[in-house]
Amino acid sequence: MSPDAPAILVALEQSALGMAIRQSVWIYPAANVAHILALTVLAASVAVMDLRLLGKFRETAPAAVIVPARRAVMLALTAMVLTGLVLFTAEASHVAMNAVFQIKMGLIALAVLNALIVQRSLPAMLSKTPAMTPLPIRFRIAAVISLALWFCIAAAGRLIAYF
Amino acid sequence: MLSRIGLAAALLLALLNPASAHHGWGSYDASRAVTVEGKILTAKYENPHVTLTVEGEDKTWTLTLAPVSRMRTRGAAQEMVEPGKVITAVGYVSTRDPDEMRAERITVDGKTVEMR
Repeated sequence: MSPDAPAILVALEQSALGMAIRQSVWIYPAANVAHILALTVLAASVAVMDLRLLGKFRETAPAAVIVPARRAVMLALTAMVLTGLVLFTAEASHVAMNAVFQIKMGLIALAVLNALIVQRSLPAMLSKTPAMTPLPIRFRIAAVISLALWFCIAAAGRLIAYF
Repeated sequence: MLSRIGLAAALLLALLNPASAHHGWGSYDASRAVTVEGKILTAKYENPHVTLTVEGEDKTWTLTLAPVSRMRTRGAAQEMVEPGKVITAVGYVSTRDPDEMRAERITVDGKTVEMR
């Protein structure tokens, strides 16, 4: 337990839930494995979505690729948050004070913000863009930012254990 | 192209020597193995790692052992590391906390269990 952590996180870690997660033989490793499996799905669907925004697979209508890929991203992200909360609860005070974890959370906030900004104008743009037509530059820039952020987020996630 | 992949694979293999398994060794001084012997004061038989506090000769040590599932499969059940038992642990001292040791193997009641 990290004594400098906010009291609410210490309380979370010491709660019955936190205890149950730590004392179970399988909950923590299962959440750990599920977190990584969700990451593979997230990475794959983010890659498909962002590469299409960038103009790869241009023979396809962008909406036909991006809409289902975005749905897969949402689903995988939900699974990542749920499994991540299990891992976080077990060591809340300790993890919250970890600099790499804090960086990771900041990067996730940026990635979500980037996605929300794109979401405002993307559906309208997709509905009028046929195959073989490049999307406006702002969507391609957003795609590069998204790819870069998610790679950094994954790296930061693995690095928490080393700092 | 293939030779470049081969080169990358060889480099990767060279980096992945057995000593860098698990969380790596950056935060523990692996150049010096330390032996701690003493009575177990507290035991947390919990994930992600089992931790003990042990009354050493000059200070109270925090020992980081293995995850619960590995402890069990290696034969170190909860009863083996209960408070009051005398433990001998060989491991590496944390470079951040001089009172914390990552145990490589533990011996209790004549039984030795490898942690890595």
